[in-house]
Amino acid sequence: MLATLALASLLRHRTRTVLAILGVAVSAAMLLDMVMLSSGMRESFRGLLLSQGFQLRLSPRGTLPFDTEATIRGADSLLAVLRARPTVAVASPVLGGQLHFPSRGATVTASALGVEPAVQGDYELVAGRQPTAANEIVANDATLRAIGHSLGDTVHAAAGYDPQLRTYSGERTLRIVGRVRFIYLALDQRAVALPIGTLRAMGGPASADRISLAMVKLRPGAEVERERAALHALLPRVTVTSTAQALEQVDQRLSYFRQLAVILGSVSLVVGFLLVTTLVTVSVNERIGEIAVMRAIGVHRWRIVGQILLESSALMVIAAPLGLALGLVTARWLDSILARFPGLPERIDFFLFQPRAAWTALGLLVISGILAGVYPSWRSASLPIAVTLRQEAVG
Amino acid sequence: MRVNHRFVCLLLLAVAVRGAPAQQTPRSIARGDPQDAPRSITIDSRLAADASLHVGDRVVVAAGTGEPGDTVVIAAITQRRADPAEIARGEYRVRLHLGQLQSLLGYGDRVDRFAIATPSAGATADAVARINASAFGFQAHRSADVAVETSKTFAVVSRFHRAIGTITIVASAIFLLCIMLLKVDERRRDVAALRLIGCTERTIVGSVVLEAAAIAVLGSLFGVVVGGTASFLVNRHYQAVYRTPLRFSIVTGDIVLLAVALALVLGIVAGWLAARRLVRTPPLALFGR
Amino acid sequence: MTAIVEVRDLAREYRMGDERVPALRGVTFTVHQPEYVAIVGPSGCGKSTLLNLLGVIDRPTSGTVSIAGERVDQLDDARATEFRLRRIGFVFQRFYLLQALSARENVELPLAEAGMSTRERRARALELLEYVGLGRRERHRPSQLSGGEQQRVAIARALANRPALLLADEPTGELDARTGAEMIALFERLNRDGTTIVVVTHDEDLARAAKRVIHMRDGTIVDDVRVDPADRRVEPVGLAPEPHER
Repeated sequence: MLATLALASLLRHRTRTVLAILGVAVSAAMLLDMVMLSSGMRESFRGLLLSQGFQLRLSPRGTLPFDTEATIRGADSLLAVLRARPTVAVASPVLGGQLHFPSRGATVTASALGVEPAVQGDYELVAGRQPTAANEIVANDATLRAIGHSLGDTVHAAAGYDPQLRTYSGERTLRIVGRVRFIYLALDQRAVALPIGTLRAMGGPASADRISLAMVKLRPGAEVERERAALHALLPRVTVTSTAQALEQVDQRLSYFRQLAVILGSVSLVVGFLLVTTLVTVSVNERIGEIAVMRAIGVHRWRIVGQILLESSALMVIAAPLGLALGLVTARWLDSILARFPGLPERIDFFLFQPRAAWTALGLLVISGILAGVYPSWRSASLPIAVTLRQEAVG
Repeated sequence: MRVNHRFVCLLLLAVAVRGAPAQQTPRSIARGDPQDAPRSITIDSRLAADASLHVGDRVVVAAGTGEPGDTVVIAAITQRRADPAEIARGEYRVRLHLGQLQSLLGYGDRVDRFAIATPSAGATADAVARINASAFGFQAHRSADVAVETSKTFAVVSRFHRAIGTITIVASAIFLLCIMLLKVDERRRDVAALRLIGCTERTIVGSVVLEAAAIAVLGSLFGVVVGGTASFLVNRHYQAVYRTPLRFSIVTGDIVLLAVALALVLGIVAGWLAARRLVRTPPLALFGR
Repeated sequence: MTAIVEVRDLAREYRMGDERVPALRGVTFTVHQPEYVAIVGPSGCGKSTLLNLLGVIDRPTSGTVSIAGERVDQLDDARATEFRLRRIGFVFQRFYLLQALSARENVELPLAEAGMSTRERRARALELLEYVGLGRRERHRPSQLSGGEQQRVAIARALANRPALLLADEPTGELDARTGAEMIALFERLNRDGTTIVVVTHDEDLARAAKRVIHMRDGTIVDDVRVDPADRRVEPVGLAPEPHER
């Protein structure tokens, strides 16, 4: 019976109900987007870091991976130490640099990663194979487009450019054996990968026995933080960063977005609350006489409040899935804007849908909407019956 | 053409890791021997606060851990620039005499860049062309072009903010329409009574629209005050968090005018739509008969 | 006869700003089961106020009210509500049916509130609608019923939980003469079937149908007469003392 009354009340003013649902849906969408924003970057970045299974990253002491041009010397001995540890499953060295490709009268420059193809974790093969021989190279589509070559072609590449003398320290002819997608690079960033020995040789003496970064995959059961601390103590030349620490760094740098998300999310919640409060107040004011009659014939106050709360709950429950759909659409749009950050890895999403967070957000909205109806409904159910009936009769 | 030889702004003297908490005490700055005759440096306020340094203090600066370095005296503490590019970077900024820094870094007779001031815009273009034609190992760029390149990040952030603003305006429009409808609906009996005594639809709609406009103007003025306060608090907060004088939020006259105008238009439209609905309903129906 | 209503020195004052307006001034009377009492008087004499106090939808400023042996003048809200639900039936001038519910559902409402099962309350509601002559209109909404039919539904609703007392505030006020006459006949029938009725009215026909008429003026009872329906002989029940005699 109360459900019938609640539904009837909603249907009595269809336009109003539809608008209220829309309003709450927009609040829900904003709230959902902000929840996605607050945790999305972090989770997306975590997923990115762990996508290849490497839990630790070693970089020159005092730096973050590829944050500077600094390199680690004594790379071979470092790798030997890492690989000798029983907890280490894989140690993957990476040397960063640049390769220059003459193309149509100009020079195209691409980021170059020197890797050990068997254990590398920087790219995924899209076509072709790994560069196993010294004169082989893999490249992403941005590079291939820029240099006007394709899989199977042979290209001339140079490294170690001296701008004053306009000379290179090393030049090679390399065969493109694979098309790849670089995991940690932006979509349009030109990049290639080749055996680390080749890049070192092309880079000259400055690159000998050096790496920019080592990625470490631990064996199952190994405790990440303990291993990180042990390596940090054992290897004074490097900084060892775990995924958790990297995420902390990201959190710090992108704290602005998290805070923005919290503020806008809170505002959405408050606005949704206000909207439902207004709606319930007006709806209840129209039915003051009806409510007084129900009280007069013996319907308890809490039951009347329950009926009105049922109305606001119905409103929220209908609006929530609409808000979910709207939120996902707007999140996609906002994500496409933020994806244009220069240098942002292609796979980073600012807005990541996580079911648990989404349901939490929508649950919060539904609860706040229900609570929004408590005061106006309790107030109306507590008005003096006789006075109210008389006023309604006169009015 | 003037070339600024004297002081070169320098990134990081082996002090803090990028992104690392700025509270780390710099490792390569240590108290120096008072007997040396040191050259002077300037440090930024963040470094001064974190390392408890003051003007007149003697410190040793070195390019790497374990290297001997030079004893210098802090001649001044500089305020950080309001540069968005420096946000979230835990860097300290130290200025040294060029020759001293070159010597410390083993740079020899090298610099990272020159900054050039020209007497006019036309002279800038000419200078760029001539330098690039005769340059040996470097290239000249206009500061404006560099600014565009380095601003790409903030262009993205601006676009994001505009998108959020658009969503907020759309949401506000819906909320406003909904609330106007509710409030006008509350007055249905008054409207019915007015109709019954002979008031025209035009009069009734006009009065509702006028009321809606008044509410919109008052509400938007209140919103401007709230927005101004929020802007102030945002700036205070983020300036403290990022330790920068940069203003993150600015409320300008244009923004206020836009907000008030938008609110007025939305309010009037919402009031008009709501009033029209009511005047088209027969008066007795409005009385519930 | 059992006393159903006992009122002693009942008074009710309203505050209008700084002014205190006495609506009832020390009213005393008793209603026995199954009396049919009409309370009449000019507008503003306090009769509706008295009815509200009997219906436990208002509280007196002073004095006592007992209904079916229970003191009701100082009940808290929850107990007052429960009392209204189970012991009192109220019929209003404007019917006050819930527009969203059908006739049957309107009658079921107090039964649902009293905790009756769905099947039981449906049966009881139909029984009551039959009693008031609306057995075939159970599914109609109030907007689909005439004024008289709506008032019948309201009466059925008031009788749902077999109240000790049926109160009616101007039950024929919104009805035409013919429908009003039907309503009067219904009230007579209810009373014959054992329902104690107290009705407030300006309707002379309705007042004439009652067996006892209490006249009020300026918040006091000025006359209280029992009417023998057989020969319409008037017997005073007991005059309320003049104010100067108190």
